[in-house]
Amino acid sequence: MIFKLTEEQELIVANMREFAQKYVDPIAVEIDEESRHPAEVMEKLAEDGWMGMPYPAEYGGAGLDFLTYAMVIEELSRSCAATGFTVSCHTGLGAGPIFEYGTEEQKQKYLIPLCKGEKLGGFALTEPGAGTDVAAGSTTAVLDGDEYVLNGTKTFISNGPVGDIFIVVAITDKELSAPKGMSAFIVTKDNPGFRVGEIFKKMGIRSSQTSEIILKDCRVPKEDLLGKVGQGFRIAMQSLDNGRIGVASQALGIAQASLDESIKYSKERIQFNKPIARNQAIQWMIADMVTDIAAARFLTYNAAYLKDQGLPYSKEASMAKLFTAETAMRHSSKAVQIHGGYGYIKGFKVERLMRDAKITEIYEGTSEAQRMVIAANVLR
Amino acid sequence: MPRIITCFKWVVDQADIRVVPGTDELSLDRVGYRISEYDRNCLEEGARLKEQYGGEVVGLTVGIPGAKKSIKDALSRGPEKAYFVTDPSFSNLEPGQTAAIMAAAISSQIEYDLIICGEGSGDLYAQQVGPRLAEMLGIPCAVFVNKIEIKEKEAIVECKVEDGVEVLALPLPALITVLPDINTPRVPGLKDTLAAGKKPVEEITLQDLNKSFDPYLETLNVRATSMERTCEKMDAGSEGIAKMVAVLTKAGVIS
Repeated sequence: MIFKLTEEQELIVANMREFAQKYVDPIAVEIDEESRHPAEVMEKLAEDGWMGMPYPAEYGGAGLDFLTYAMVIEELSRSCAATGFTVSCHTGLGAGPIFEYGTEEQKQKYLIPLCKGEKLGGFALTEPGAGTDVAAGSTTAVLDGDEYVLNGTKTFISNGPVGDIFIVVAITDKELSAPKGMSAFIVTKDNPGFRVGEIFKKMGIRSSQTSEIILKDCRVPKEDLLGKVGQGFRIAMQSLDNGRIGVASQALGIAQASLDESIKYSKERIQFNKPIARNQAIQWMIADMVTDIAAARFLTYNAAYLKDQGLPYSKEASMAKLFTAETAMRHSSKAVQIHGGYGYIKGFKVERLMRDAKITEIYEGTSEAQRMVIAANVLR
Repeated sequence: MPRIITCFKWVVDQADIRVVPGTDELSLDRVGYRISEYDRNCLEEGARLKEQYGGEVVGLTVGIPGAKKSIKDALSRGPEKAYFVTDPSFSNLEPGQTAAIMAAAISSQIEYDLIICGEGSGDLYAQQVGPRLAEMLGIPCAVFVNKIEIKEKEAIVECKVEDGVEVLALPLPALITVLPDINTPRVPGLKDTLAAGKKPVEEITLQDLNKSFDPYLETLNVRATSMERTCEKMDAGSEGIAKMVAVLTKAGVIS
């Protein structure tokens, strides 16, 4: 399959490149070192209409297809994977479930401010005892009059300390086997009983804010149940399919940046009176990078394209996420190798790229979980 | 409220030009194209003046049919409408030809109070199209401008000259070429890009102009410049200095 970009797609991607070079590149090192949320960049992204890309204009979005959205996340992540992820988490996991499963009232109340970037979204699924095994979650939601009362601790929640609106999955019926007894809720940081717990210090994507979310008798109006009672697991799984295309795009940006830096450095670095790019050892590393990145890009765009066509894309999203994340990890490591000692020093971009790449093999389903999904799809 | 024409050119991205190894020939096989860097300032100034004074801003470009790709990009940067003067023969135009084609197009159908051009183009950088166009249209012209104000029927401009700044008042209609430091071009937002696709584009063909625009020059070849470099190492002691003097004398740098 060949993806020939439309003139509009090319222009949108070029404009995001220009945006990232102007607003993100100059602060990328600083926000990484300080683990700082780039509020000023988020504000500018909102102002320029990038916070609700794949949702219709009537909800404040831009009405882009998912493929273009994926390309934009790739381009933003090429400058800063943490900023790219903050946007994709907000868009795919925060706003996505409300668009797919929300009532019209919920869309008016929550989706519009998310798409306009007035509010930041997140997704609270993982718990201390329930990572890949989502069904082992222990957060509960009990109906009390017109409100659900939620109790439990969510962990590793991206956008946790800076987000406003979260999709929270909790058990509403303990009698049913776990997946069927789970429901999803729209919970805001202003709901009584909502609290941000520990804020984590991470190896990579350090400017993306990650924390616990503690729900202690957290009262959520009955009308903020998302979808139907018992649909929580399904909503979570479908949202993760969405999110995986976002992570694949983010990983693609990291891999592309690793290649960009490697080409630049290997042509400039002189050893033994010649650029190191003339050495076959370096050429082979770069050839492998280019080839793997092309394959990763096809997988990612293919998953996005299938979603745009309304076709099943769960397996393809997992394939894209698995291959692209492993490509980003392998080749950011090679990029550090090409840079030699300099690659290990703070301030050289490849050092950050290698740290940022690792998480793409872990969150929104580990590489092992992706293999489970892919195998289950072909062995049924 | 001024009616402004902002002019832009679709040029080869210089970063993509390669010299064919072992020769002084340029390889343009894999080059990309973009709106000339200087014309981004021109488009931005049009957008800024419209925000300040109201009125309307249109874009104007001349080129081969392939240059149409520049139109959406330009429209995402401010103009409400674009005029695309095109013909397959419009490649490698001389500045005089470009100015004549623009003058013919403007005279035939575009009303204006002010025309803004970049200081020069990103490829030829001849800096001639603006002044030539003004001459052909018979309107006043100011070049190398880094500040524009509109006051009733005049444009008050500051031009950078060798010893300082010259302030001029140009009766409108007039033409101004702007320097890169006149503004910082904005990055078009997503909504600007999407809106650009809905803005009108008017194509003006060579037939519509009903004229011929012959070149005065013949381009025989375009070649890369090369600089011969040699490397001599010497220390800072008296022997090294004597050696340096000898090397420079031999090379004819000093005598």
